[in-house]
Amino acid sequence: METPLIYTSKGNLPIETLKVEAFWENTDTYIKLIERYTDPTGEIVRESAHVFIKEGIAGLGETGAFA
Amino acid sequence: MANTQAMCTSFKQDILNGLHAFGTSVVRGATTADTFFGALYLASGTLGAATTAYSATSEVSGTGYTAAGQTVGSWNAPTTGSATGYTTPTANLVWTTVTLATAFDTLLIYNNTAAGKNAVGVFTFGSQTITAGNLTLTMPTNAAGTALVRIA
Repeated sequence: METPLIYTSKGNLPIETLKVEAFWENTDTYIKLIERYTDPTGEIVRESAHVFIKEGIAGLGETGAFA
Repeated sequence: MANTQAMCTSFKQDILNGLHAFGTSVVRGATTADTFFGALYLASGTLGAATTAYSATSEVSGTGYTAAGQTVGSWNAPTTGSATGYTTPTANLVWTTVTLATAFDTLLIYNNTAAGKNAVGVFTFGSQTITAGNLTLTMPTNAAGTALVRIA
């Protein structure tokens, strides 16, 4: 059985040697999932972020009134 | 039935399609859609409503990231609904296997076809770093209330 590896800042490491954490942020405009892999020394060796934009930007179009 | 003062909804769509020119400074060389880019900016930056164009000032840098960002790709054809003109890119923005060690929190979308690299919008998503990983920005639903760019 081969050991699954994952690409990190220290090259390919066995995924089983890493601590994996997931964090969520949920705001009015986006949801963010952060995946963090930490090695046994406590160094973050891989971190990804996935952002879902709930809502973009809006400009208000208005007409003026005669004075 | 009475007349009602309003900005025509079709005008909002037309603006997104570049149909009207009240000024004389814009010369369009083609009828094809412009190319838009997305660039990332440090959390220490000062981008916002006053941003007028792409600038390298406070742009992120790091392994796997190309200065000026990447193309946004195609957009849904501008349309209208609920008196709003709107459009959204058809694909997500993804930076694969990058390292961005300094905290960033902003995406600037700008017109890369325009000579002045004119800004479209500033989007913030919370302070973040990336280490040998991926950044995915998933686009919202292309609807009147959620589309990435809306004129309401």
